[in-house]
Amino acid sequence: MFGVDVGGTFTDVVAIRDGKVEVTKVPSSRIDPAGSVVEGARRLGVAGSAVFNHASTMGLNAVLERRLPKVAFLTTEGFRDILDRGTIHRPLDAQTDPAWRRSFGDAARPLVPRYLRRGIRERKTAQGETLFALDEAQARHELEILKRTEVQGVAICLINAYVDPEHELRLRELVHEVLPGVEVSISSQTSPLAKEYERASTTVIDVIMKLLFSDYAGQLDRELAGLGFDGQLNFADCAANLLPWQEALERPFRILFAGPAAGTVSSVHLGGVIGRGNILCADVGGTSTDVSIIVDGKPFVQNTFEIEHDLIINALSTEVSSVGAGGGSLVTVSTSGGILVGPGSAGAEPGPACYGRGGTQPTVTDAVLLMGVLDPNGFAGGEFELDASASEAAFLALDTPVSFEERVRTTYRLAVAHMAEEILNVAVRHGVDIRDFSLMAYGAAGGMLLPAALDLLPLKEVIVPPHPGLFSAIGLLSTDQVYYESESAYVVFGPDGIDDVAAVYERMEASLRARLGAAAEGLPVRRSFDGRLVGQSWEIPFVQIPDGPISAETLPAIAGAFHDAYEARNGNRFDTFPVEGVTYRVEIVVPAEKVEYELAPEVSPFPAAPEGMLTLRYVAAEPIQAEWFRRETLAPGASIAGPAVIRESLSTTYIPPGQQAVIGRAGEIIITEVAK
Amino acid sequence: MQTFPRPSAERLYVERQPVAATCPECGGSDIQAYPVLSEGGWWHVEKCQDCLASLTRVPAPALGSYVPLGTTVK
Repeated sequence: MFGVDVGGTFTDVVAIRDGKVEVTKVPSSRIDPAGSVVEGARRLGVAGSAVFNHASTMGLNAVLERRLPKVAFLTTEGFRDILDRGTIHRPLDAQTDPAWRRSFGDAARPLVPRYLRRGIRERKTAQGETLFALDEAQARHELEILKRTEVQGVAICLINAYVDPEHELRLRELVHEVLPGVEVSISSQTSPLAKEYERASTTVIDVIMKLLFSDYAGQLDRELAGLGFDGQLNFADCAANLLPWQEALERPFRILFAGPAAGTVSSVHLGGVIGRGNILCADVGGTSTDVSIIVDGKPFVQNTFEIEHDLIINALSTEVSSVGAGGGSLVTVSTSGGILVGPGSAGAEPGPACYGRGGTQPTVTDAVLLMGVLDPNGFAGGEFELDASASEAAFLALDTPVSFEERVRTTYRLAVAHMAEEILNVAVRHGVDIRDFSLMAYGAAGGMLLPAALDLLPLKEVIVPPHPGLFSAIGLLSTDQVYYESESAYVVFGPDGIDDVAAVYERMEASLRARLGAAAEGLPVRRSFDGRLVGQSWEIPFVQIPDGPISAETLPAIAGAFHDAYEARNGNRFDTFPVEGVTYRVEIVVPAEKVEYELAPEVSPFPAAPEGMLTLRYVAAEPIQAEWFRRETLAPGASIAGPAVIRESLSTTYIPPGQQAVIGRAGEIIITEVAK
Repeated sequence: MQTFPRPSAERLYVERQPVAATCPECGGSDIQAYPVLSEGGWWHVEKCQDCLASLTRVPAPALGSYVPLGTTVK
């Protein structure tokens, strides 16, 4: 099994054979992005593998940096600026700033320049009736202009096309006639949901992703086959569900943002094995820490996500929130002379001062190195040595009256405090009691920083999984193939409208089963809807519909499911209010092969044998002695009292004083406060 | 009392000046220069009249052609 996580700097390739994990890192290439993936596959020997699961931030980075192909946007005449206005929501800090502009507006960096956004004379009503017929002569005139501008793709989003796609389908035919060979996405197939702005931005992203990924995926498939790979190439979507690559390319907006969700599903999988259902997940990277939540074994999935403020995509995605604190976060001095950590980052180049690549500002990694936690000779698998004198010089150069010892100590404590604050924010936002939750700490720096969060938060425990630096890539080998369809229609649930809802579900289920063919045989269809109380303008997403027929007889159960979901989210319920359905969804889960954690037999804790002693500085008033261990040598049941350091090839775990670590049955490190 | 006569034309338009250039986007040669009011205030633009791509777009005074007296007194 292969899992590949293509990042902006490095491509992580993980292979699992007979329970053993092999890994390689290849520098990502903008010129030949598929080349780095193929190189990683060649190094680890992909021939004979069953699956090759792929996640990439290539599309997301292209959108964020606006390295985009030239695409046009066609919409109903009079609506071409919907892409510019967004939802009109302003962020809180821009409420009173008259100079604030949307990052994707005409005055900033639009996805589609205004001259390529063209109005087409046509109009369908919200009931699907034709108010104005499609003016084909005018449409051809606009397309001729686009032909002269040599656009590579066309996104079409006509108002109310989600109710009746007739005009969009005809317009797509005209595009194929006038602009042969140009990629086209239409909103009624890409994302046939109400709300025209989200539908429009999703359709634009979809055609951009088609252009970015079509050649890439084809090249990847061919070259992997050339290496002897004859298994299934899958792409991960924004919720880290897998899709066969051909299926993913039919609506590629879903694979825009695959990386962060993989860590969450990895936590779900490991949590299931070790009997943990309530987990807060924290992925500590170089620049940021991504936090997500799992309740009762299920990640929190949302029906839209924002690439930038108000740049919304209608894709099912795992909710992930970020804070600008990670291993590479820069240490700066405030105007009053205090120490600040983040949100700026040294990135991979030049990196922290101790990398010796030209970085002169201190970072969190420099602080942890000076504390004695990091091994200067064994960093990143021994790939390069860390220079503690460069870290010291960087901290000494800070223009602050704070003593050197306090600079280092405060850097470490502030980084942990920023992460702990975000973890608490996520817990509070979801209304959960943090005492019932384990914190899964991963990313190469997760085990190094997050156990200290136990001193700040009343968490049940901190768990450092096996291979924490590769945990997200392993997540790509911990998930299933998920196929879904969705449609919108505003229907008040009552005896009159329920048959319409049933018809929508029957149509979607038939379409989904036809798409999947034999692969769907015997598999249940999960049905859900986004609904609201009549009169509201926001929806409760993912209300599950009970199995069985949808009819006037089962209506009370369906409405009851909505009121239960409403109460779970909002804390109150209004059973007498009628319910209105907005978006309907069907989903089939096809189980995929997953990484297997071997569970050791239950044993009583026993003291672990240390490799040696080391000196930790800036932890207490005076330097303290601590034991250090090699993770590879620690068997399940091994118990370690803090202060202690556990080292492995790609990461380090630091157990502060007053904490106790035990190796769990799957090889995970479980850290608790001794007083608890 | 107004210091300018009442306009006699039914509708008023900004004056557009022809520019000798070729549109890099569509190859059109009908390029004109004129001010437009858009997000961020007034802009001086040179626009292709076929595809409406802007060849140049530079910020113009915030109040358009109106120059408050106070801003010119030294």
